[in-house]
Amino acid sequence: MPKVFNWQIGRDMDYLYEGARPKKQFGMVMDLNKCIACQTCTIACKTTWTSGRGQEYQFWNNVESKPYGYYPLGWDVRILEKLGVQPIDAGPYQGKTIFEAAPEGERVLGYRPEDMDYTSPNIGEDDSTGGIINEGGAYLQMPHMQWMFYLPRICNHCTYPACLGACPRQSVYKRPEDGIVLIDQERCRGYRECVKGCPYKKPFFNALNRTSEKCVGCYPAVEAGQQTRCTIGCIGKIRLQGFINTPDQAREDNPLDYIVHIAKVARPLFPQLGLEPNVYYIPPMHVPSWFLKQMFGATVDQAVNVYRRAAEDKKLLGALMLFGATKEISHHYKVDGDTVTGYTEQGDEIIRVPMHEPIFTRAVFDEKLQAYRSNIT
Amino acid sequence: MRYTGMVSRAALAAALLLAGTGMAAADDHLLVQRIAAGTGPVLDPDAGLWQQATPLTVALQAQMIATPVNAEPAVSALTVRAVHDGLWLTFQLRWDDPTKSDTIDLDRFGDQAAVELPVKAYDANNPPNPMMGDADQPVTIMQWRAALQRDQEQGEPKLPDIYPNAHIDFYTGDLLKPEEARAYTGAVGLGNPVSRVGKSPVLDQMAAGFGSLTVKPQQRAGAKGVWADGHWTVVIARPMKTDGEFDPKLAPGDGSVAAFAVWEGGKDETGSRKAWSDWVPLSLEK
Ligand code: SF4
Ligand code: SF4
Repeated sequence: MPKVFNWQIGRDMDYLYEGARPKKQFGMVMDLNKCIACQTCTIACKTTWTSGRGQEYQFWNNVESKPYGYYPLGWDVRILEKLGVQPIDAGPYQGKTIFEAAPEGERVLGYRPEDMDYTSPNIGEDDSTGGIINEGGAYLQMPHMQWMFYLPRICNHCTYPACLGACPRQSVYKRPEDGIVLIDQERCRGYRECVKGCPYKKPFFNALNRTSEKCVGCYPAVEAGQQTRCTIGCIGKIRLQGFINTPDQAREDNPLDYIVHIAKVARPLFPQLGLEPNVYYIPPMHVPSWFLKQMFGATVDQAVNVYRRAAEDKKLLGALMLFGATKEISHHYKVDGDTVTGYTEQGDEIIRVPMHEPIFTRAVFDEKLQAYRSNIT
Repeated sequence: MRYTGMVSRAALAAALLLAGTGMAAADDHLLVQRIAAGTGPVLDPDAGLWQQATPLTVALQAQMIATPVNAEPAVSALTVRAVHDGLWLTFQLRWDDPTKSDTIDLDRFGDQAAVELPVKAYDANNPPNPMMGDADQPVTIMQWRAALQRDQEQGEPKLPDIYPNAHIDFYTGDLLKPEEARAYTGAVGLGNPVSRVGKSPVLDQMAAGFGSLTVKPQQRAGAKGVWADGHWTVVIARPMKTDGEFDPKLAPGDGSVAAFAVWEGGKDETGSRKAWSDWVPLSLEK
């Protein structure tokens, strides 16, 4: 098998094809501290892309609770169990990726979920860890004894997609211009090898069309310089979509590069699987580190620490201010005084955001109404 | 990205060696019997004339050259008969299959069978690769699909066929003009041959190597399958001579080869996970 370099695991690895990075790579950052599971992103995607026949249970964007929610059922624990316990210490990954762990006669290590696994999107919603009664009664303490968080997911438009590698017909392709991974709907024969191969379970089988379908990265919007529907619809302003470079090519004025490569505050999901996924998550601060390590890699604590001190890094704060601020993709950005400005690829200004919102304080007592105010800012 | 590493060269060489042997064994020979001129394609799997055609048992092995594979496919042999009327060539394939699989959803795959013929005049000294042909010597592959057969008989699949209790108010596409609705129909709107309800349950295709299987612009083949008492009987027919670039050109008295493949849907066989045969020599009765 050809060898390719995967920067997320810090080493060369086996892949089914020679490595060929796209000219630009679609990327997204999601701040898990801010998601409220309102599912606006899910509905934005659903109404845009999957309102057709055979797509009834497809959610190209989904939001699940962790640690107990899943869509499809058990997707992450099942692939982790198949892969077996792997060392995930800091430094180059010493364990096996799903390409290296492929059984004889298979192209990748995977499994095909059952139809029923999709029928309860996010079963286990809002369940938190730990018991209340059996653990001797819960009481208020810091940090909380119990925890949970929301994990919004789209296709990761991976640098080394398992869906693409698994398809024996080469019906899946990665666009050289933006790295978006698509399934050719004319070529696909519905073998479901991509459904089986993608560990994130983001290709879906359409039983009426008899082909597999997946997140298209809102490519018509991206081509027009706009962010994806799930990003611009996000109520919590937790998302920023744009393009990401490899760490050696990181540009300080690209907000995604700054967040991921320079501030190192966001991490890919399950980097040990070897796909170099391009959705990066700012880990939730309240979740125990042992849990986060398995999901986001050995050095995830550093990301949490950077996030806690984000106010000290004006450039980081500036990049975070671009979340939910505009429909357009900010290819470049600049922090100037108390303002962050986002620019198009050509350098035209798109958006200006104040780093601090002006605060007005009103008197506690309203003379005119002869009433006390409960909210004065 | 470059296509590489999928087919081990050694495995391919071994397969070619295999293909070159065993061609002459007399009882491995399929006689394509001549039937009355003007009969046309014999699209009835149970037609009486099949009784007169000489059966040949064809052994099938697991496809092991290109990943992914199913090392132990369900079907290990099929019985083949063939007839021609001077213009049409029809094969009858019969194999044991305890389950009829003609409904497709995420968990279920359909039964399929295929007949492969060389496109160029057959040269025993330089046979095409029986495993999907190669760039110099393309092949024609007629693939019958139980699910397409079901569509012919019962119409395009609908949600309640798969989920009997499903209820849908309406689909966005239903509210639009057909041209506008196309965007909501994915592979169906693009005319993907596995999605649309076609005129026939067989796909007339060509291939020139692994991963190159393509449906031809002109569909010439016809087919029909019947499942009864634990086996499928499927007939697949095509005109002996048509002018398509990738159509075989055969005449009475010719010798050639054919190869066969079966997918047992009930065992999740699909794509490269299949059972297939080596080339079987055949002769068309004068
Ligand atoms: S719209 Fe934003 S906040 Fe709401 S669920 Fe989606 S990602 Fe979370
Ligand atoms: S997340 Fe899955 S579907 Fe998306 S590119 Fe990666 S392997 Fe393919």
